[in-house]
Amino acid sequence: MQQQLVYLYCVTEEEPKLKEVESLVDDLYSVYHKGLYGVAGKVEDSEFGEQNLKKNLADLEWIKAKASTHEKTIEGVMEDTCVIPFKFGTLFNTDGGLKAMLEVYEKEFKAILEKLENKQEWGLKIYCDMEKLKAGITNRETEILEIENEISSSSVGKAYFLKKKKAELIEQVVNEKINQYGRESFELLKELSSAARINRLLPREVTEREEDMILNSAFLVGNDNVHDFVGLADSLKTRHEDAGLLVDCTGPWPPYNFCGLPKQREHNG
Amino acid sequence: MDSVITKSKNVTLLEILDRVLDKGVVISGDIVISVADVDLIYLGLKVLLSSVETMERLRDGPLVGPMQEST
Repeated sequence: MQQQLVYLYCVTEEEPKLKEVESLVDDLYSVYHKGLYGVAGKVEDSEFGEQNLKKNLADLEWIKAKASTHEKTIEGVMEDTCVIPFKFGTLFNTDGGLKAMLEVYEKEFKAILEKLENKQEWGLKIYCDMEKLKAGITNRETEILEIENEISSSSVGKAYFLKKKKAELIEQVVNEKINQYGRESFELLKELSSAARINRLLPREVTEREEDMILNSAFLVGNDNVHDFVGLADSLKTRHEDAGLLVDCTGPWPPYNFCGLPKQREHNG
Repeated sequence: MDSVITKSKNVTLLEILDRVLDKGVVISGDIVISVADVDLIYLGLKVLLSSVETMERLRDGPLVGPMQEST
């Protein structure tokens, strides 16, 4: 018989209602210890055991399926109660191992759950159509226009250097604009949030988009503020559209970005 | 929990991967396998994961405190 492992999805303080989530995962169950519930599922060692996991992690289709299951399972539990989402691939040998972990982190988990109560995580990514942004800048900035005028009345040699100067100037203005848009959007939304953080940008190869990502951020928003938050995100969307900026607001998410243990760094707003 | 606004539509797999693989609580203890620093690496246009180097066996005991199996 194959050995099974215990895959932990999330931790809750209220008893999770697993009936509706069960359809996603075979044998979804909860382990109760010290006032906390660990929502877990049994997975096969042949799939998640060390040797085979290495192989499976190189399989994009496998990851897609498992990551989606991970997310949907937590989302299902989240509909009824506050959750601490765990990272993909948190596994224990036995329920006993899971209980021991709950024992060690009891205080931290309860403090985190208290902090997360009545709040939702929202994500905001901003992408930039560089060509569109550059075109807009070229038409607007007077300094660039002046160089253009100079180029048309210059010798070939001088025009070469002026063109180079113009390109550098555009690049500089583009960077300034991007930073300004990103920072401004982040700060405005942060005001409506109880915590906010900026994450690393993902390259085009990962996003599979033609535009460049210029902001990747997450916010912890009180339920009472969600309406205003989404409204503000929508207004940012239309405000910067013409300049070539695409604002992508998603949520509510399990609070992946705001459940850090004290040792983990977090940017509190 | 009151969900004031329903989940926005068309959430891409990227959004899910960006969170599930990169965020969430990471603990140490009697974990069989901790995919500790699952990272997104880039191979062509496909997102692949490498965990070969980052995968750790944390059997030597927890970093935070003593832990006993309470089975």
